[in-house]
Amino acid sequence: MTAISNPSAAPVVATRKRPLRPVDVVQRAIGYVLLVLLVLFCLVPFAWVVLSAVDADAGAIVKFPEFSFVNFTRFFSDPGTPLLLVNSLVIAISSTALNLALGIAGGYALSRFAFRGRRFFMFAILLIRVVPAPATIVALYLIMVNLQLANTLHGLILVQAVSGLPVTLWLMKGTVDAVPVELEEAAWTDGSTRLGAIRRIVLPVIGPGLGAAAMLQFMGSWGDFLTPLVLLQNQDLYPLAIGLFRAFTERNIVDWGLLAASGIVYVLPPAILYLFVRKHLLKSSLGGALKG
Amino acid sequence: MTSLVDAPASVQTAIRPPAPGRRRSRRTWPIVALLLGPSAVLITVFIVLPAVYGVWLSLTNTQLTGFAARNPQFIGLDNYTYLLASADFLASLGQTGTFLFWSAIIGQTVLGMVAAVLLSRTWVRGKGFFGAALLMPMVVPEVVASLTWASVLATSPEGTLNRLTGLFGADSTAWLQDFPMLAIILVNIWRGLAFAMIMFQAALEDVPAELIEASRVDGASAVQVFRYVTLPLIRGPVFLYLLLTTISTVGVFGLVYFLTRGGPGGQTTIAAIYIYERALQFSQIGIGSAASIILLVIVLVLGVVYVRLAKVQV
Repeated sequence: MTAISNPSAAPVVATRKRPLRPVDVVQRAIGYVLLVLLVLFCLVPFAWVVLSAVDADAGAIVKFPEFSFVNFTRFFSDPGTPLLLVNSLVIAISSTALNLALGIAGGYALSRFAFRGRRFFMFAILLIRVVPAPATIVALYLIMVNLQLANTLHGLILVQAVSGLPVTLWLMKGTVDAVPVELEEAAWTDGSTRLGAIRRIVLPVIGPGLGAAAMLQFMGSWGDFLTPLVLLQNQDLYPLAIGLFRAFTERNIVDWGLLAASGIVYVLPPAILYLFVRKHLLKSSLGGALKG
Repeated sequence: MTSLVDAPASVQTAIRPPAPGRRRSRRTWPIVALLLGPSAVLITVFIVLPAVYGVWLSLTNTQLTGFAARNPQFIGLDNYTYLLASADFLASLGQTGTFLFWSAIIGQTVLGMVAAVLLSRTWVRGKGFFGAALLMPMVVPEVVASLTWASVLATSPEGTLNRLTGLFGADSTAWLQDFPMLAIILVNIWRGLAFAMIMFQAALEDVPAELIEASRVDGASAVQVFRYVTLPLIRGPVFLYLLLTTISTVGVFGLVYFLTRGGPGGQTTIAAIYIYERALQFSQIGIGSAASIILLVIVLVLGVVYVRLAKVQV
């Protein structure tokens, strides 16, 4: 380890104008060694998934791959796995859309109107974050059974959209707070209705906040394991999270290559969304600064 | 996990007086009900109601199947007395405590702090790369995180961890069978390290650089500066982090369930898995709900303790 990090520390030392005391050099070397060890700890576990996904002869362990994309073509031609991806997409996109629709409306009300119980409501939904999900899942399951929503996709979508709603409401309230109310008032005097003003004045400028809320909600829904595990029994409704779990634990012979490829497919949408939203967020905040 | 970060920052916005232009009148009620009503109703039905219903269920002998499923009886505190005398449940609480203490309070906090302090040094090159690499374990879905570790902890001598220990001459070990608790602690440290780092990086940015420089000029070593200057200044954020990581670690389910399903021999049946097994696999809804309530009370007590500790010297 020391051998790896010393060369990277050396140029820094060499380019310094003021000579470093030996004690500083030692401290920096130790610092780089620690950082490299931490990075190895964080990245090495991914080696298996990445290498096995492109290995035609993948096993349970890390080895040099027999490079091919056959696992991915198998993922998309297999009778079961494409449905997992479709279900995951339907669940995550629908729950995000529903969550944002409710969050924008609610956040606007929380920001623009002073009504009795507003502060109480804000703190009550903040307190909800203290409750760990496994502590309410049992009662939630029974309620869903009674509402005939257990074992349905729309039931799961509803639960996930609402579980992220406290955070979205807080985010949207803060975002709308930052939009000057004078802009809206100007639109009203120009003859715009309240809803018209929201659509034309508020919605176009809350993009970054909306993007952040959408990303949090999508990733939460996409990665959720406990709720679909409890609520869904029908195999045709399983999202990727449950499909991967079943493929790993319930088959006698695990198809490692397919499993790794599924893992990669599962990681990609949130990764792409993250990159896209990040770029978009940077651009929009930069644009706002330039115009301002 | 990420979502918890936003809450504390937003608290301040709520304390601010209402923005000008906000009007208080009777006419606002219909539009507030229209805009906020659906959210309030749904939150009540799918978040508040389960919590309240859980308390009621914990006082009954409700089952998923069988006679008690059709006709559940109110049985008072029987479920609680059963649980508090049950060796399985107490062992499960103990395992939750071990898991929480070593993975979150020690592991994530120490490693996250090391990463945050190192990345705040001006002389470190490649901060973007280091930061992005350390974030990876946090951004992938739970199931993929478990899958990667299933391979690292594989029993065969060619498993990644066995190869590593093999370099030091150790025999290969069946990690998930022989040291299941150690294994899941390691996995959870890996998963939560980045969240600790982000929280501590934000806190360290608020520590005035002049204070650090002044102490260095006065001859304090880097360790002394950290211990006596930096740490007391970021005390509040550290306890806030401990609160958040306690909540999320007690809520960890998939990561452990995927790897061990509570085994072997119940050695990794942390409370979340105990609740799931009791209520939904053995169909003892009443007992599972009582266990949920006990867990919830413990989290709330810990939360109050952290908040108290955070305020002592600030």
